[in-house]
Amino acid sequence: MIEVRGISKRFGPTVALDDVSFRLDRGEILGFLGPNGAGKSTAMKIITTFLAPDAGTVAVDGIDVLESPLDVRGRIGYLPENNPLYDDMLVREYLEFIGAARGLAGRRLRERLDWVIDACGIASVYHKPIRELSKGYKQRTGLAQALLHDPDILILDEPTSGLDPLQIIGIRELILSLAGQKTIIFSTHILQEVSPVTDRVVIINNGRIVADGRIGDLAREAMGENRLFLGLRAGADAVRGELERLDGLTGVELLEESDGRSRFALRAPFGQDPLPQLHRLACERQWELLELREAPFSLEDTFIALTRRSRAAGEVSHV
Amino acid sequence: MSNVKTIFRREFAAYFNSPIAYIFIIVFLVLNCGLFMTPFFLQGMADMRDFFGNLPLFLIFFIPAISMRLWAEDKRSGTFELLMTLPMQTGEVMLGKYLAAMAFYLVALAGTLPIPLMLLALGNPDLGAIAGGYLGAVLLGGLYMSVGIFTSGLLRDQITAFILGMLACFVLFLVGIPAVAATVDGWVSGLGSFLQNAFGLMPHYQSLGRGVLQLGDLVYFLSLTGVFLALNTLWLEGRKY
Repeated sequence: MIEVRGISKRFGPTVALDDVSFRLDRGEILGFLGPNGAGKSTAMKIITTFLAPDAGTVAVDGIDVLESPLDVRGRIGYLPENNPLYDDMLVREYLEFIGAARGLAGRRLRERLDWVIDACGIASVYHKPIRELSKGYKQRTGLAQALLHDPDILILDEPTSGLDPLQIIGIRELILSLAGQKTIIFSTHILQEVSPVTDRVVIINNGRIVADGRIGDLAREAMGENRLFLGLRAGADAVRGELERLDGLTGVELLEESDGRSRFALRAPFGQDPLPQLHRLACERQWELLELREAPFSLEDTFIALTRRSRAAGEVSHV
Repeated sequence: MSNVKTIFRREFAAYFNSPIAYIFIIVFLVLNCGLFMTPFFLQGMADMRDFFGNLPLFLIFFIPAISMRLWAEDKRSGTFELLMTLPMQTGEVMLGKYLAAMAFYLVALAGTLPIPLMLLALGNPDLGAIAGGYLGAVLLGGLYMSVGIFTSGLLRDQITAFILGMLACFVLFLVGIPAVAATVDGWVSGLGSFLQNAFGLMPHYQSLGRGVLQLGDLVYFLSLTGVFLALNTLWLEGRKY
């Protein structure tokens, strides 16, 4: 259980965190979202006791991070940003070092080593120097480090950054396999990485929380609608008339028209899918379909919508 | 204590994980023993006074080169964050690192032991003075090392940490030189001799080199070393805020 209450942190004149609060129950997975420089890492550094907040408190399992930092550290497995490792060591030496530093020894250490080697898939590189590993294996070694002492709480700062799609899936599966047993916070700036793992997100921007809730609800609330692009080889006026007659659409806007082609931006309420309807229409009228796609549902859009809203309302969106 | 040991083992091994350690030790031995042996047979004296006499100046370069990586390397690579989120006190990590660097220095220093053995074979040296000299070399190295680990903790760049450490050691060395003390006395009456007595390391080092074991000298080296180690820990703790 992690409870962050009103933490603020500034570095010189820069405000990194401004009155940030959120709460995470045992066994929950939280996606911590925000653009680079939003304050994600700073918040994680405070939870892991690397930094102290200027104001506010953080309690991990009810233990205050300022009062008993060593207690808190013992309960947390932490993968810092950029996955720092001792390049000069072998994977084995490195994990044994971390194990000893975490107070593991003898049989317990061997058991845990066997477990992380298996869970993180690092058996093939176990006796290799870390500097010779690929980025994916380095990341797994970093995760093995965080999992070694079987912590109840995992804090992963951008665990998938810089990995290729297959490696990202590997990390995602590892996180999913821990779901339910462990309380996990992981940060990312890519919304698509959150949804396969969890639907609970906290979105942060410029050091402030702009949203806290379920992804779907947040997006729906923030965006209200889907945007689509439609390109046809047909006159704009004829098409517009037909489009406005469709009931699934809430907005029709002509983007460009040239050489008998026209291109529209359409709006539809969230959750509805007007693509089949549009396709059918084009077939019936025998308009050559040049483009038909949903505008990608991006963090940026949700984010821009949420920040704009939160600025207007002056409050955080709780869903 | 087991935490100190864990850090010590990792840091000590780190010195020998790169070839620089071996080059380093060889340079240390070649320069030190070379400087000592060149006039040795001309003078025909069975003592190590010249050897220990060179050391304070020589270690000003050598010790900060050992200590420069202690924190700066971790800060540069990000492993500093890893260390500072392990369930151990900052002081334990610091002590593990300091002792590892000292152990490395002692390995290099142990490489010079053939000299006293040779002296024993060739003549009849004053073993007390030699033992005192070695004790002085250890304490002096320990003091320089504490200055070096302190400057390494201030910075994330090893080279800057090296230069700053060297300068700081050099100042400690200079204030203990009578000529410097006299010059400073000329500017502000009494200041030079005060600094010489309070902080200068040469008087203490030289008395150890004569084989005279005085409590005051031990207290000087150990307390000043302790001060720098404590400052180092405080600084690293303070960075949280």
